[in-house]
Amino acid sequence: MSVTLKINGQTHTVDADEDTPLLWVLRDHLGMTGTKYGCGIAQCGACTVHLDGAAARSCQIPVSALAGAEVTTIEGLSQNSDHPLQKVWVENNVPQCGYCQTGMIMAASALLKQVPHPTDAEIDMAVDNICRCGTYPRVRAAIHQAAEKLSS
Amino acid sequence: MGKLESVSRRSFLISTTVVGGGFAIGLQWTPSQAAGETAKDEPWAKAAAGSEFTPWISIAPDSTVTVRCAMPEIGNGVFTQSAMTVAEELHVDWSKIKVEYAPPLRNFLEKSVYTEAGGMMGYFSGRSTTAERIQLGLQLGAGARERLKAAAAAQWKVPVAEITTANSILTHTASGRTLKYGEVAAKAATVKLDKEPTPKPRSEWTLLGKATPSKLQNPAVVNGTAVYGMDIRLPGMVYAALRQAPAQGGSIKSLDASIARKMPGVLAVVTVDPKESAGFSDPKLQAPFGLEMCTAQNAVAVIATHYWQARKALDAVRIEWDDGAGAQWKTTETMNEAARALLDSKDLKVEKTEGDISSIDKQDKIIEGFYHTPYCDQAPMEPLNGTALVTPDSVEVWHPSQHSQQAFMVAAHETGLSPEKVVFHQTYVGGGFGRRVFGDDVRMVVAIARKYPGKPVHVIWSREESMRQGRYRAIVATNLRTGLDKTGYPVAVHGKYAIGSVGGTAGFHDTPYAFNKNFKVEGTKVPFNILSGAYRGPGYNSHAFITETFVDECAHAAGIDPLTYRLKLLEGYSDLGWVMCLKEAASKAGWGKSLPKGMGMGIAISNWAGNGKPQAGTTVATVATVEVSKAGKLKIHQLDVAFDTGGFLNRDAVVTEMVGGSIFGLNMALNENLTVRNGRVVEGNYDEYPMLRMGDTPTKINIHFGGLSGHERFCEPGEPPAGVAGPAVGNAIFAATGKRIRSMPFRLHDISWT
Repeated sequence: MSVTLKINGQTHTVDADEDTPLLWVLRDHLGMTGTKYGCGIAQCGACTVHLDGAAARSCQIPVSALAGAEVTTIEGLSQNSDHPLQKVWVENNVPQCGYCQTGMIMAASALLKQVPHPTDAEIDMAVDNICRCGTYPRVRAAIHQAAEKLSS
Repeated sequence: MGKLESVSRRSFLISTTVVGGGFAIGLQWTPSQAAGETAKDEPWAKAAAGSEFTPWISIAPDSTVTVRCAMPEIGNGVFTQSAMTVAEELHVDWSKIKVEYAPPLRNFLEKSVYTEAGGMMGYFSGRSTTAERIQLGLQLGAGARERLKAAAAAQWKVPVAEITTANSILTHTASGRTLKYGEVAAKAATVKLDKEPTPKPRSEWTLLGKATPSKLQNPAVVNGTAVYGMDIRLPGMVYAALRQAPAQGGSIKSLDASIARKMPGVLAVVTVDPKESAGFSDPKLQAPFGLEMCTAQNAVAVIATHYWQARKALDAVRIEWDDGAGAQWKTTETMNEAARALLDSKDLKVEKTEGDISSIDKQDKIIEGFYHTPYCDQAPMEPLNGTALVTPDSVEVWHPSQHSQQAFMVAAHETGLSPEKVVFHQTYVGGGFGRRVFGDDVRMVVAIARKYPGKPVHVIWSREESMRQGRYRAIVATNLRTGLDKTGYPVAVHGKYAIGSVGGTAGFHDTPYAFNKNFKVEGTKVPFNILSGAYRGPGYNSHAFITETFVDECAHAAGIDPLTYRLKLLEGYSDLGWVMCLKEAASKAGWGKSLPKGMGMGIAISNWAGNGKPQAGTTVATVATVEVSKAGKLKIHQLDVAFDTGGFLNRDAVVTEMVGGSIFGLNMALNENLTVRNGRVVEGNYDEYPMLRMGDTPTKINIHFGGLSGHERFCEPGEPPAGVAGPAVGNAIFAATGKRIRSMPFRLHDISWT
């Protein structure tokens, strides 16, 4: 089927089977590979995007359910990789292998929009993505730091 | 030094032919047109622009310095380390340095130009900080710098000695003239020096051990442009989903793909049979890690225009499997029993015997324990995958390998093509932990692409396929036995083990504890169908747990503080790093302070990669502070980690690895457990194979530097902490509850107390 999607402010028309998850439409049909495949069952969060501003796991959203929705991916999070989260991520050397990190950043950016100064518990709840390298302590610290930057 | 100098000189000879002859040699590793397309996103795919000083370094007219790295970047920071080492002598503007992968084809064609110094093109075990690699990087940096100076001196007609270098700029102070590196790079690359310069001594380093740059790839990681194996996109590329025999070693009995073939987007349904692997074109060829660990598995793959189509169609293929010999293993329990039963065998192979262990039975107090660790999957976040384009006389591969040289040779072996016909592009790697070392994954990719020649085939393992078709941390069953003398210390230790099947006994056989003077270690392998391989700290990840739990049991049986006990067992050992690490971790954790009921501290120490030699490998001591509720819920409040890598080259890189390795070790000990039914691995995804998340991770993982002995080595920080986090927590649980945990995962144990 032909589907029209609004991604990062732009309109895309793709020809995809209607049950194709958004994740694979982004990656295969549109070549937007910053959104990662990790588990396919909404467990790991590597595929996190924003759907109408809220964090969503794109492996669970069939493309047919996206009519009228506004999708933001890591490619559209900022103009020049200058979202405060992206900046503190680099400054603090947060990533290790890096594969899960775009999903982490998308989950964190959605959280900061809703809760400008999250507590540790709120971060743990909203950013429950899996990282096999063990970047968690730095991820949490970086989110706090970005929250400071955003509010100052 | 002598060897490196000669390598360096020979490299310069080759480089002059490259510079002189344009791309006469370069053409052989210039990627195909298809790869050229991806080069937009893949900076390392194209030969670096600019003048090549050696196969390791090029400098472009805009002064960009490209350093080639022979090791895959799997998140440990090898790119950054490689750049730092060169920069120490080359005095570059850090923003102008970049790293790209050294191509295995060039290594093959140019007589091991990237492996002669520093070893294989694989990443594991601290390969960016070995003495040989550091010396090589410094020599390369110094050699390039002196050539730049010589070129500038010739241009200015001044003595070389009057020229200084800093920040990618050459300066002649007396006349106030300057040149950027890029402005003389072309000339400098042709300079022949009478003698290669000697890098400055360690005491004068200004970058190494002092600077802590963020990883070079981080900007690309955080905006999603870093290209992992999964992210390769090529013109005309098709996708494949695969299913390998669910009982490893099994085969296809019957196959009906009639429905799948008619599904949307499906281009082909193909099978892989290990008997079809073509073999090397020349019997003298070898893969650096051999071929035994990377045989093909019988499999079915669906090739389609899009991955989702391939995956759906794969589910519609009706396959009847012959489970083969694996079918005998009905349950995990039967396998565990088989391993345990072997411990009583008379045919155990003696791995080590020292002194006399007959005194054990003469002691009043006998301590004996049976310990067990299960199958674990490395579970890197990027599922296994790869892309290959096979034609009758070439194969081109894009792949997230942990060992590009091995993968390159496996591609040659699978197709039967001469390695000269193989182009291998290393991508970024979404976690390795040992899973991507041997090349079974690249073999399956190439085997599938062979069945669909002429098109790049991007093969993706689903998470379930990745997890159920692992090369696992093996099952280990171990029995340890000792007798304590009147003072409470072991007179001798007798260890028996059965491993199913890959892995050694690092962390046990190499112990420096005093009982190693009367010591016997014997064991055997169990021939299960389930395939095992390398997993962060192979062998050690089980045996450090087993040994440190056992020693803790001995200490408690003797009524001696576990820290004091370990210090006593290390008395007289010539590597003081062990004692320093124990004391550092313990003092920083507040060892010995009184804790409320239900809380406890545990300590563990071991060494990885030292193989029992003093001043070798990395020693890590960890103290865990835990709380266990009466109902048996565990909370880990704090880990205090002290280590002895000798010294360090990048403090922050060491901290991240120590933290990450500790969390990996916690997850292994607390959570990880694969079970088997009828020869098939049951768990397929993170819902069945739980992982620690941010909220489960200890709030404080403190990395302390007071255990560093200052020895001249720079040993690896990645694998060592993974072995000791688990036993530290297990011993802390005992301190808190009186319940001793002798097997992983801990989550299956009842640790409630009253």
